[in-house]
Amino acid sequence: MTMLRVRDMTVRFGGIVALDGISLDLNRGEILGLIGPNGAGKTTLFNCISGVIHPDRGSIFFEGHSLVYAPPHVRARFGIARTFQNLQLWGSMTVEENLVVPMDALGRRNTFSDALYLPFSTYAERASRERARAILHVLELDRHARTLAADLPAGIQRRVEIARALAMRPRLLLLDEPAAGLDAQETARLAELLHAVRQRFHVSMLLVDHDMSLVLRVCDYVYVLDFGKLLARGQPSAIRSDPKVIAAYLGEESKQSTGETTTVVAAPKQAAPLLEVKQVAAGYGGLEVIRDVSLQVRPGEVVACIGANGAGKTTTLRAISGMIHPRRGRVMFAGIEVTGRTAERISKLGLIHIPEGRGLFPRLTVEDTLRLVSNTAGHEVDITPAFQLFPKLRERRRQLVGTLSGGEQQMVAMARAILSRPRLVMIDEMSQGLAPSVVRQLFEIIRVFRDEGIAVLLVEQFVESALDVADRAYVFEHGSIVLSGAAVDLRSDRKLVAGSYLGTAVETPAMAAADGNGHRVDPALMEIVSVRVPAKVKRALEQRAEAEGRPTGAVAIELLEKVDRQ
Amino acid sequence: MTSRLMVRVLVTLVAFAVLARIPVGFDVGFKFDSGLAVIWAFGLLSLVLLTGYVGQISLCQATFAGVGAYAAGMMTATFHVDYIVAVAVGVAAAFALGIIVGLPALRLHGITLAIVTLGIALVFDRYVFQDHAFEWFTGGTGGWSVREASMFGLQMDSSKHLMAAYVVLLALFCLVGLLMVNLHDSGAGRRFRAIRDSELAAATMGVDLIRYKLLAFGMSAAIAGLGGAFYPLVAGNVSPQPFWLFTSLQFAAIAVLMGVRYVPAAALGGAFMAFVPDVLTRFGHGSLFGHQYEISYDWFQIAVGVLLIVQLIALPDGVWGDLRHRVGHARSTVGALGGRRVKVA
Repeated sequence: MTMLRVRDMTVRFGGIVALDGISLDLNRGEILGLIGPNGAGKTTLFNCISGVIHPDRGSIFFEGHSLVYAPPHVRARFGIARTFQNLQLWGSMTVEENLVVPMDALGRRNTFSDALYLPFSTYAERASRERARAILHVLELDRHARTLAADLPAGIQRRVEIARALAMRPRLLLLDEPAAGLDAQETARLAELLHAVRQRFHVSMLLVDHDMSLVLRVCDYVYVLDFGKLLARGQPSAIRSDPKVIAAYLGEESKQSTGETTTVVAAPKQAAPLLEVKQVAAGYGGLEVIRDVSLQVRPGEVVACIGANGAGKTTTLRAISGMIHPRRGRVMFAGIEVTGRTAERISKLGLIHIPEGRGLFPRLTVEDTLRLVSNTAGHEVDITPAFQLFPKLRERRRQLVGTLSGGEQQMVAMARAILSRPRLVMIDEMSQGLAPSVVRQLFEIIRVFRDEGIAVLLVEQFVESALDVADRAYVFEHGSIVLSGAAVDLRSDRKLVAGSYLGTAVETPAMAAADGNGHRVDPALMEIVSVRVPAKVKRALEQRAEAEGRPTGAVAIELLEKVDRQ
Repeated sequence: MTSRLMVRVLVTLVAFAVLARIPVGFDVGFKFDSGLAVIWAFGLLSLVLLTGYVGQISLCQATFAGVGAYAAGMMTATFHVDYIVAVAVGVAAAFALGIIVGLPALRLHGITLAIVTLGIALVFDRYVFQDHAFEWFTGGTGGWSVREASMFGLQMDSSKHLMAAYVVLLALFCLVGLLMVNLHDSGAGRRFRAIRDSELAAATMGVDLIRYKLLAFGMSAAIAGLGGAFYPLVAGNVSPQPFWLFTSLQFAAIAVLMGVRYVPAAALGGAFMAFVPDVLTRFGHGSLFGHQYEISYDWFQIAVGVLLIVQLIALPDGVWGDLRHRVGHARSTVGALGGRRVKVA
């Protein structure tokens, strides 16, 4: 039966139409994928469903309740839980406490009884904590239970967000980019986890993600949004080959990037290293994140850092650029020791760090952001080369950076970097949260950087794309480098790059395992209680009805009559 | 009763016993300062709940205390009720005002909320506490003077029985402080802290924002009002001067200075607010190495400002907060050296 029914949802922010008459159905037990380019309105739709913003028009029904006037906490009590694209954990609480909050918030707990430590409260407290630990165990987060949420790396925080949402015992889980910043292996584990969660807890899900390997692996049905409108919908396999979707979102698969590019830049191998990191250790507070990290970047070389979340890649970049001070070891840049120097002094030497959040000023226009480079350069800088490199930014030069889509923001950050004529650019998680077609463009830009003679140190979760563009790579594990070598050699190491972007490693999408929920298709039963129809059968009926232009009920009755006749 | 709660109760009892003895044997001025210190500590405690736990900004906490004081004064002076009833009415009045002030906080955040509460403080300071229209509440220009007040039949007059008022006030502060510490770690406290860390996540995870924000403002105002309701008892009369706008600003500054998330910091701050100006006026003049010097009360304001700047640079979590981290760090280091783990309370 339809669990969530969204009808004609329209949201406007000022003059911008974020959602334009979107209708969507989610059946019970289904995992529904929602994909589309950045700024297509996916998160806005999530916000409407969870009650964070109110739509200008349209209606939402959840299990027969209208949600139009329900505040967010009431929707939570109905069983709608969500995660956030920009992490929203309660940072000053431990991971365990983060999970306990939604549990008690749903129960009937009394503020004064809590403050007095009455037996009722202490009992409920113990029960909640035990359940929290059980959920953490399932998600393999046991060892972080007592860590403050803010101290965890972003990838683990994302898993805690899922754990917190599950702590609500939801019936519908809204997952906003759960795989952002996860590597291929972690994404595969996440897919398994989502399947397990659906089977064990009977949770339906609505999933937004740019990682097509995840979407194809777990989703039963996919909706594609573009500019707030519904572009296409269908089975994952159909969506993948839909020409409209490829044009707007996935982009053409470019196969020209194999081998030749890496052989071209073999020249500077003998040159003295531009950046040399020697046995650096760094961390935060009482925590040492990286130990004994040594790496080199030669002039004009593209070097990739790859590894799981929490392996210390981001910390390494921060220690190099002076955002944190290394505890041991030395950092040499262009022959000068820069260990312990402040970030702005290091950047003046020509080392630019584009951090994970891209480090932009949301209230400045594109043009002003680029003009700021003259401030650091000390003389007036001509910004036209940036527009030549990114023609899209020329159209948007008067727009505020904060209103740009994620991909365009990354372009601004990269344009700003290139204008200051650096010798080395370090880019952290360049493709995080970006649509596949945009990611491909950005990797092309990296090649431009190299052609200009700018060295690039790249932290990237999409291993295969990173190795395509890089000359060399370092593999991080548990805070130190375990493997390094030429990208060509690493690329042939299949163990490392198993399961890559765009789901090439997924031979069997979720749909192959029909009736995976253990339900049997029983039309007679369907007639009696429509609630019992498995999501897949319902979806098949709906599709057929739409193709024939008749109501779903009519198709179902026709099928039933056929069964009767036999 | 858990062992942690036992420790807390024990620590509170010892603190009460020690603090209750301190003013004995000193002059009336010192005893008055002691009472005042606890009243200001209540004001700071109200900010520990509102700002430290729930993350809401308020610049009208002294107004809540003033409403408590005037309501209590009115009840004893006009209706001659037992003082405990007067206190109850004062707290109820402050609670009601707190709920009303909380209404704009449902929509506003940060600096805008600060401005709105500042406006409320200004309205009460300049108009309600001073205008003829509210003479029934404020007792006119002279304010209420409280004579022959009694609590549970015990004489509590300010001139002769200042110590009794101080002990009752201190006992109440210890009790409310203990409840506040318990609240922090309890389910309700976590919901409050969830609102502080991310309102968006709190709402979508089932925390009723309207209820908990109003509750926080109401409880905070009630705590400030509880302290204020004892002001007529300690000072003998009520006037608008102690509850003016500047006291509210001082509350905010000293709460941050001492550590806005910690209950003991409120006690520390209360003592600071009450004693330092008095010490300055008493001992602030004389001669040193042949030079005449004169330090007036104004120096207190300057000192607070300078200390606040120093604190924000050197002790970002407040005096008490950073002290606590340092002791905790030292303890865990010592524990590690000894080869055993020490749990930091």
